[in-house]
Amino acid sequence: MTKIHVIDRTNRDSYQEVLDQYFRLRYEVFVNERGWRDLKHLDGREIDAYDNDEAIYLLALDGERVVGGQRLYPTVLPHMLSEVFSHMAPRGLPRAQHVMEWTRYFVVKERRMGRADCRLLAAIQQFCLEEGITEVTAVVEMWWLPRWQQAGFKVKPLGLPMVIEGQPCIAASVGISQDSLDRVCTLAGLRGSALVRNPPLNGPLNRVPHVAA
Amino acid sequence: MPGNSFDYATEAFDFIDALDQLASADEVVESVAKTFSLFGFENFIITGLPNPRERFEQVVLLKKWPMGWFDIYAREDYVRSDPIIRLCRNTTQPFEWSEAPYDRAREPRAAEIMERATDFRMKEGFCLPIHGVNGYEACFSMSGVDLDLSSRTKPALHLMAMYAFERARQLLEPHPHAGSGVLTPREREALIWAAAGKSAADTGEILGITERTVTAHIASACQKLDAVNKTQAVARAMQYKLIGM
Repeated sequence: MTKIHVIDRTNRDSYQEVLDQYFRLRYEVFVNERGWRDLKHLDGREIDAYDNDEAIYLLALDGERVVGGQRLYPTVLPHMLSEVFSHMAPRGLPRAQHVMEWTRYFVVKERRMGRADCRLLAAIQQFCLEEGITEVTAVVEMWWLPRWQQAGFKVKPLGLPMVIEGQPCIAASVGISQDSLDRVCTLAGLRGSALVRNPPLNGPLNRVPHVAA
Repeated sequence: MPGNSFDYATEAFDFIDALDQLASADEVVESVAKTFSLFGFENFIITGLPNPRERFEQVVLLKKWPMGWFDIYAREDYVRSDPIIRLCRNTTQPFEWSEAPYDRAREPRAAEIMERATDFRMKEGFCLPIHGVNGYEACFSMSGVDLDLSSRTKPALHLMAMYAFERARQLLEPHPHAGSGVLTPREREALIWAAAGKSAADTGEILGITERTVTAHIASACQKLDAVNKTQAVARAMQYKLIGM
């Protein structure tokens, strides 16, 4: 079954191959398929300025295979919406410790008709609920809006749609709530958590024996 | 000039914010009609697509259409030859009616639809495809004679339409919380008698169960319908056509 792995600076060493696969897929999806030429990199990996220690990835893994992904980034730091797309948010950009920016969402082509989509959406709600994050901001193509809404996401537009790379897109803030999580799980028939949080390779958790006294 | 585009934006955000307060699909129709008329729109429809065994009338979600046209459109089954509908299911992008291609010579029916529509002041139009998690879901098409359609107004219309659709869907959904399950036969019976003015005690006598059990059925129905009391539960059950009179 597809699981959603949480990867951040603390455990990324144990996911090196997965991350390499992930950056290649991003190139495949965003550069080759979507034609975002600005992102073109020669080595066939799509990596930008925000793929740094502050980024948190929630990747859909089927065994060792990446089938989808999304990235979270702190809004208190310069981020894509504040640096590149601020003109899309005339109603104001939420920036706080408890607000993350949500970017590079994708599902690989072969899995787009399945539940991977809803699993990733559920994962973002669940992870944020667990971490005390109350909202995420994003730039999204307009045709996605009804999908999010159908999945129970509360979406607030931060401005009017604008055309980016030929597609009407909107800057929006999405509320995090148990309601939204329940709704997307019900919609897709998801039971239980699909979130996997592996400890760091040599992290303290690995050195402490996993036994209760 | 920022003035105008700012006004469109304000109009759009006010419209969206007010949607939450609307209590019925009819109110959504009213609200859309009022705001969209500022852009010259006189008619609109939000519809799904009928499968081969369904009729057009069954898949229409909301509409403000001239009565005569709706009758003709349904009777003639125009939905299956309409070039607007055809383009709508094959794109994710909004488009103007004039951008929907058809071959006048080889598709006389398509031409007939577009021509007859103008008799009902549906001369120009703007159409938005709506895609859900399972793919193409619905078509939001609006029209009139003299439209204010530009690169400045389209984004506002697009955004408002998506939110109006979502609000309509919520209001028309049989069960506000998916997964709450349909009403049981007993819950329906209890609501039907409540709608007929019977108390829980009366209903208990009629159904041969205790008053307490009747109250429990009503409470359970309230929960499923997201209603705060029996009155609201009855209203919702009727609105969603779970009970009839």
